[in-house]
Amino acid sequence: MENQLRDASDSDLVGRFKEGAPEAMDEIVRRYGDRLFNFGLKMCRQLEDAEDVTQETFLSAFRYLDGFRGETKLRNWLFKIAARACLKKRRKKKCEPDRELSLDALIPGEDGPVAYEIPDWSENPSDHLIRAELKERIEQAIAALPPKYRMVFNLRDIEGFSTEETSEIMGISTQLVKTRLHRARLFLRQAIAEDGWEEGAR
Amino acid sequence: MSEECRKYFERVSEYLDGELTPETCLEIEAHLEECPPCKACVESLKKTIALCRRVPCESMPDDVRERLRKTLLDCIGRNEPAG
Repeated sequence: MENQLRDASDSDLVGRFKEGAPEAMDEIVRRYGDRLFNFGLKMCRQLEDAEDVTQETFLSAFRYLDGFRGETKLRNWLFKIAARACLKKRRKKKCEPDRELSLDALIPGEDGPVAYEIPDWSENPSDHLIRAELKERIEQAIAALPPKYRMVFNLRDIEGFSTEETSEIMGISTQLVKTRLHRARLFLRQAIAEDGWEEGAR
Repeated sequence: MSEECRKYFERVSEYLDGELTPETCLEIEAHLEECPPCKACVESLKKTIALCRRVPCESMPDDVRERLRKTLLDCIGRNEPAG
């Protein structure tokens, strides 16, 4: 049964769930649980909050799955619920005010180096310490993005949603998705670049 | 940064994402050929995006997965067929 479901399409799984098959629920969680947890962790930066976001997303999704008509992809629908759960979490905490990133501050040469040295990601097993340090550096840089930029970046560049899908998930215009994504990437380049890191670390 | 460089700088992400018209892409590519700082800027941005994508996805820890399973079973598991 389980193996059969592994090959099932998302819409088949939704259909099976509506028919009352709980194993369809397990398969949906297996398929999207880690990605939603990862998204929650990147957005909320706390393990407990990521757990809450994942749990709230699935609870809400399965409660309302009867109303899911399949015009939207299941994955997009789940992320839409998760994005809302992250926003709710942040509003409750009131500890991370959103802010704008100014394009002028991100122009190379205005206030920083003209050329950015971006480190390489090595898959060599002996480089695991370098990789761990780099991973930490990238995660810190993403965490330092203002929340609304962080969400666009995570949906577009980490989860691989298109501009249109991100706009639909977040309920903002495609132009705003493009603007925020560009600034988020420029911010990350500055934060990840070798010099930026060295200076920040000292 | 010159006005011309700035004009292209603002659209670099759209260029990398293939969201511009072929004419605009050609225009940008012609500029990049003549402007090494802009070319370096595009390359470093491209590298930043690729690097961020390499970071592996965090899996749910086992205890979190177990609690999720239990909550879903308690709240949803006794699902009756719809309709």
